[in-house]
Amino acid sequence: MNPITPIINGMAITFKHMFLKPVTLQYPTERPKVAARFRGLHALNVSHDKAKCVACYLCPTVCPAKCITVEAGEDANHDKFATVYEIDMLRCIFCGYCVEACPVDAVRMTGEFELANYDRKDFIYSKERLLEKK
Amino acid sequence: MVNLTIDDKQVTAPKTATIYDAAKLNGIKIPILCHDKKLKPFGACRMCLVEVEQMKGRQIPACTTPVTEGMIIRTSTPDIVKARKMVLELLLLNHPLDCPVCDKSGDCDLQNLTYEYKVNSNRFKDEKFNHEIDYNNPLIERDMNRCVLCGKCARICDEIVSFGALTFIDRGIETKIGCEFDDALNCEFCGSCISVCPVGSLLARPFKHKARFWALTKHTSVCGYCGTGCNLTLGVKDNKVLTTIYDENQGFHKGQLCVRGRFGYQFINSTKRLTTPLVKKNNRLVEASWDEALEIVAARLKGGSDVAALATARLTNEELALFKKLLLEDVGTKNFDHAAGYAHAALTEGFARSFGTSASSATIPDIQKSDFLLVIKTDAYETHPVVGFEINMAVKNNGVKLSILSDKKGKLSKLPDAVTLVHRPGSEVAVLNAIAKIILDEKLADGSAEAIPGFAELGQALAAFDADTVATQSGLAAADIKKLAAGYAAADKGLILFPVGQAYAGHTADLASAAANLALLTGNYGKEGCGVLCLSEKNNSQGAVDMGFYAQDGGLNGLQILEACTNGGVKTLFIAGENPLTSYPDRNKVKAALEAVEFLVVSELFLTETAAMADVVLPVCSFAEKEGTFTSTDRRVQFFKPAIRKGAQIRTDFEVFSGLVKCLGGQAPASPAALFGEIAAVTPGYQGLSHVSLRKDGAFAAVSMTPAFVVPKAVAPVAAEQGKLALVIGSALYHSGTLSQYGEGPMHVCQEGYIEVSRSDAAAGKITENDLVTVSSASGSIQLKAKVSLRIPAGVAFAPYHFSNTPVTAIWAGQPVTMVTVSK
Repeated sequence: MNPITPIINGMAITFKHMFLKPVTLQYPTERPKVAARFRGLHALNVSHDKAKCVACYLCPTVCPAKCITVEAGEDANHDKFATVYEIDMLRCIFCGYCVEACPVDAVRMTGEFELANYDRKDFIYSKERLLEKK
Repeated sequence: MVNLTIDDKQVTAPKTATIYDAAKLNGIKIPILCHDKKLKPFGACRMCLVEVEQMKGRQIPACTTPVTEGMIIRTSTPDIVKARKMVLELLLLNHPLDCPVCDKSGDCDLQNLTYEYKVNSNRFKDEKFNHEIDYNNPLIERDMNRCVLCGKCARICDEIVSFGALTFIDRGIETKIGCEFDDALNCEFCGSCISVCPVGSLLARPFKHKARFWALTKHTSVCGYCGTGCNLTLGVKDNKVLTTIYDENQGFHKGQLCVRGRFGYQFINSTKRLTTPLVKKNNRLVEASWDEALEIVAARLKGGSDVAALATARLTNEELALFKKLLLEDVGTKNFDHAAGYAHAALTEGFARSFGTSASSATIPDIQKSDFLLVIKTDAYETHPVVGFEINMAVKNNGVKLSILSDKKGKLSKLPDAVTLVHRPGSEVAVLNAIAKIILDEKLADGSAEAIPGFAELGQALAAFDADTVATQSGLAAADIKKLAAGYAAADKGLILFPVGQAYAGHTADLASAAANLALLTGNYGKEGCGVLCLSEKNNSQGAVDMGFYAQDGGLNGLQILEACTNGGVKTLFIAGENPLTSYPDRNKVKAALEAVEFLVVSELFLTETAAMADVVLPVCSFAEKEGTFTSTDRRVQFFKPAIRKGAQIRTDFEVFSGLVKCLGGQAPASPAALFGEIAAVTPGYQGLSHVSLRKDGAFAAVSMTPAFVVPKAVAPVAAEQGKLALVIGSALYHSGTLSQYGEGPMHVCQEGYIEVSRSDAAAGKITENDLVTVSSASGSIQLKAKVSLRIPAGVAFAPYHFSNTPVTAIWAGQPVTMVTVSK
């Protein structure tokens, strides 16, 4: 083969791409399209103005990274609820087992992926922070 | 034994076994919901259906069918599996399926079986129950919507606890478990019903939503309250003891516990625990380092016989032995004691002279093997509830005859055919002597008795105790005493039980000897199911006696030490875990002594009122944070390991004493295990025991007896006084010593002291239940809540001693009977 041919082929591809839509996303001015089944930041589902979570401890039990802390309490109606629900995002491996284990559909994973922060303690998401995302 | 075939396996089983027992014995698992090892067969759940070839392949319940020779049984044919699946479907039909919020989840028999049999759909449809849930009870939560009607709770409450709080109420589909008139639960709160519930119908409220079952680490331990020596399984999470877990294979009591054992664990992780040593500076206790505190204490311990020590019998054998070594060898004092002196006199003096050994001649398992039980004071049930359960089972299941000699009636009096002789307070020794005299006079004595030293003298010395005189003195009928004597003498195996403790000042060496005389006269000792069992108060009372931690060779006993503190004979007092202001008689005297003593060291879990008076307070460990051995009242030596890590600035008593030995220039033992080796070598009966050999199960320390008759002195009964009641002090069922005040469970049920009076006295003084009454005696006066009770005879009053908030020691100076006035 002529040694020049591969170079010409290569240049042809480069030239073609000058007219195609670029693959690179100009983040943060451009936003990626997050798939429906993407596993990002957790959110606690709400029903009747209350978190659906009944503090059954199945998510901390199944969590392979041991990043979920739950403490249960009893409310005025003697119902069980989570007084503490914390996820340590530094440890979370986003496997989604917590969502799978949940018997009451109380936890889901959102498309939120921008989790960077300046302080380690800000990576510990309390119940209030997890509830905010609706 | 009979031979049978289960699932093609040739097995043998005892004649009395059911198919379920036989299968279990041979390692074949049959699923069941309504069976417990301790309970009688019931056949409620129909899960244990099996096929027996001889019965034409019909499905029959394994738990109620006795085995017969040559039976051919199949436990899991497709038909049986199908039937069991349907049973589960029918149970799940009404079951709420709220596993995520049910605390039983993970430990639930119904859940496990549903999983095992893959019952993931239901062919039937029905409404769920809508019973009201009892959230109000502080200890036991009842949710009858989850109930599968196995009846275990009702049966254990009846068969073992003999309380009968729970039963089936209503009929048909409406049937549920409830209390009488569907009322609130008001029982002993032993929690036995919770322990056997296969679902989440009965739950421990103090543990509610604390943790899931699978997150708990299970640590076996020995209960730190009374002398019964029950085994516990502590459920631990994040270094906190959160609950006690039931294990039907644990201990002689098969996991059965009382209210203190099951619900009294909260003191271990109490926020009131001391966390650092405290030293008094400018009249205030301030935090100090261990080095500083131990240096101050060691400097004061150089006083020789100026130093005295009081210990609680809740310390381990190793700690008591080391404390004794520290005091005898390094300090040079003989002044040390536990339990005020009189509380262990029944063992150290009474049994020592009558049996030649300071230990009981019977064990707790003997109770069920006996024919005739003589219980002195119904309080035996209150001081040692699990021993009480053994008595219940002996009477109800084995038909053992029960006679009670007591100054009031009690729970034991309600057992079938129980005979209670209610005598005037303080006359029990006279009655026992009268029984001995009747046995002698009517020639009921065993032939072996004549050979025992002191036999001839006994006959003469008992001359004054003829049945009629004693009957008038004690307020009994002579015929009843004679009947009791005849009953005891005629029994093949007779066992006498009596409680001792800091509240039982009348239960002295003389009572022990009087009881021992009866056993010796009738030959009821040294055999199975026979003997005299002294129920010592605390978890290691017998151990403290075995370690010799009491006044000997001229040392001062507990009460003498306090007296010596007042008059300057003792300048330094080391109190290890005891709270004499509440537990020693005569509070004012004790207070004066503690104020008078120059230097007071207290090692404690909590800043008790005694610790608050100390110059140095050392924070020490509870039983759940240390290792060692406890010796139960029947001399079962049991080893336990720490269940949780101790706090950073907390030390075990063993470490404290070791530190002091080193400060004083002595040689401290390397570890509790090493010291136990030395103990085992020198303590009679402990030969061959070691921490390693005791690791799995405890072992009984052998008791060797050299019997002798001793003439017990009977105290003259306290004369009745017009307008005054004879007050007897004792234990409340929900408490043990002063430690249970820091357990939330016992305190939910019984928060403060009270005085129980009879109906007639209450009527005379116009006293009604829960009235605040003033009780005054020669030594003081105190306000207590009144309880009007049917069990108390007229002229008598009863008060428990455990409470620092209402200390009866203010009115009680240590007499067996105190004359008091009770007024509104």
